[in-house]
Amino acid sequence: MQYLIDQLVSGVAVGAVYGLVAMGFALTYKATGVVNFAQGEIAMLVAYVAWSMAEAHPESPWLAVAGALAAAIVFGLVVERFIMRPMLGEPIFSTVMVTIALAVILRSATLLLWDAYPHGLELGVGRGLIVIGQTGMRTAQLGVIAALLVAMASVWAFFRFSRIGKAMRAVAADERAAQLMGISAGRVHAVAWVASSTISGMAGVFFALLYDVSPTLFQVGIKGFPATILGGLDSVLGSGFGGIVIGVVENLAAGYAKPSVKAVAGLVIIIAVLLIRPFGLFGKREIERV
Amino acid sequence: MRSGDFKERTAQLIVLNDSRVAWAWAAASLGALVVAPYALNAYHLSLLIVILITGTGALGLHVLTGSTGLISLGHVGFLVAGAYAYAVSVTRYGWSPLVGFALAGLVPTAVSLVVGIPSLRLKGLYLAITTLAFASIINYFVLELDWLTSGARGMAVPRPTIAGVAFDSEPRFALLCLLVAVVTLFAVLNIERSRVGRAFRAIRDNDIAARAMGISLYAYKLRAFMTSAFICGIAGALFGLYLSFVSIESFPFMMSIEALAILIVGGLGSTLGAVIGTAFIVLLPELSRLALGLIGTQAKALLSTGAYELRTILYGVAIILFLRFEPRGVVGVWRDAKRLWVQWPLRY
Repeated sequence: MQYLIDQLVSGVAVGAVYGLVAMGFALTYKATGVVNFAQGEIAMLVAYVAWSMAEAHPESPWLAVAGALAAAIVFGLVVERFIMRPMLGEPIFSTVMVTIALAVILRSATLLLWDAYPHGLELGVGRGLIVIGQTGMRTAQLGVIAALLVAMASVWAFFRFSRIGKAMRAVAADERAAQLMGISAGRVHAVAWVASSTISGMAGVFFALLYDVSPTLFQVGIKGFPATILGGLDSVLGSGFGGIVIGVVENLAAGYAKPSVKAVAGLVIIIAVLLIRPFGLFGKREIERV
Repeated sequence: MRSGDFKERTAQLIVLNDSRVAWAWAAASLGALVVAPYALNAYHLSLLIVILITGTGALGLHVLTGSTGLISLGHVGFLVAGAYAYAVSVTRYGWSPLVGFALAGLVPTAVSLVVGIPSLRLKGLYLAITTLAFASIINYFVLELDWLTSGARGMAVPRPTIAGVAFDSEPRFALLCLLVAVVTLFAVLNIERSRVGRAFRAIRDNDIAARAMGISLYAYKLRAFMTSAFICGIAGALFGLYLSFVSIESFPFMMSIEALAILIVGGLGSTLGAVIGTAFIVLLPELSRLALGLIGTQAKALLSTGAYELRTILYGVAIILFLRFEPRGVVGVWRDAKRLWVQWPLRY
């Protein structure tokens, strides 16, 4: 029983990381109609920036956090403006291929700029242990769950109350009609990219706190992807929830079946979801079938 | 007096190529390629072999992505399946290499049915996602079926002896690859001018219209999937033979991206483009090495330490630049150049 609880708790924690990445996927998809295959790579890049800052200024961890945040925002803006916006109006195949190419470039660039070895990210927080009953949790684990909840709440409020959030919903529903109403689709896309790279950057930093910074960190993207498929590609909140489910399933599969099953558990879920309910648990859009 | 170019019979319309010049060039380059393995040095020969094998694989993906318009990110899975089908049947069970090659084609075809039947219910992006997942699942099975595939340790595959001819030396192996590549090229070109190929193109250009004209989307998409998997399986077996060793690590996920880069750079939907794109992408690192060598020794040092990373960055940059500035690919540039040559100084 204790084993089950331990598995569940660490599953929820790692699932929160996946959930954050998945929210990043869903935000870009909802606003721009593009699945950004470079999401995990953005998370990795931001984590590396945080690590570099923390190494350079070990006395002020807040500087690392601020630097990572700034890097995520700038990176989202640059990618949207210089890589994605010129591709507007091109077939979906082309835009998706561009994000894949971007992912490949970022992966290799990380190896070139930094190195191939794992590093621990020391921000002075997150290592403490909190024991409830017999279950121990690290503060970073609690932190990432809190971060996911805060991100979900703010995204909900953003879509519900803010002007640009409503504009984003309008663009998602019908881009041309939204433009005719005077909404700048370009600005909405920029906001979506910044928001999604910030959220997945947070995921990268939390992943680095929980485990380490390494060139395989981009795999949170591959893990977050099943989450967003499960939650619904156009449902940001559903994707966050999907992350928790994927994290728990993965951990239970690894804990009760075989550790090697962990790597494919999410992928099997993708295929199952796409076959049974291709628009996900909370997705609205009907996906056209052949 | 007749003027212009008239096609009077169906045969003339669907002929492989009506230009004698084109045939002459093709024959001349084929002759050059047959002689080349004995004329090139070892390094250039290995490049030639890689081009031939990559070209075969790229043609396989071309049938699916270029002709039929279905995106696959998991074609490396078919390469793995083909390579292991060959390695298991020849190395482990000692069957003849011909049986090995047959299985290298048929096993991925069977696998493609397992992947294709469920995932063809989905369109576009979603198909790309399921194929992506599928490639990882294949790797998982290879690692788990340890008794069959030796798992992570990989398997050695000796160069084959087919019908008394030993393809043990590099030049001979290059000729084997050339044979396979040429046969594949002809097969793909011929598929394209058949009923099946026209159905593929109809599905790519407008699937609803295609269905309205009586083309079963399901049947033809599956056919495209199976053909593509067959060709890629053979290419995978050849690649395993080239390395003399088959393991998961020899087939990284990058290969799927590389193949898509080839199709995009060459010109999506064009068979000639797949061929040109292969030469371009395989030689891209060489070209960039020459270019960087001109800049200075520091650039050269970077190249030797981060060669693999730089290569992947180059693929990525090539994909982005071509999609952005020349979506028709090298073939588009080539056609423009041809037209300019014929019609200059007139526009058209």
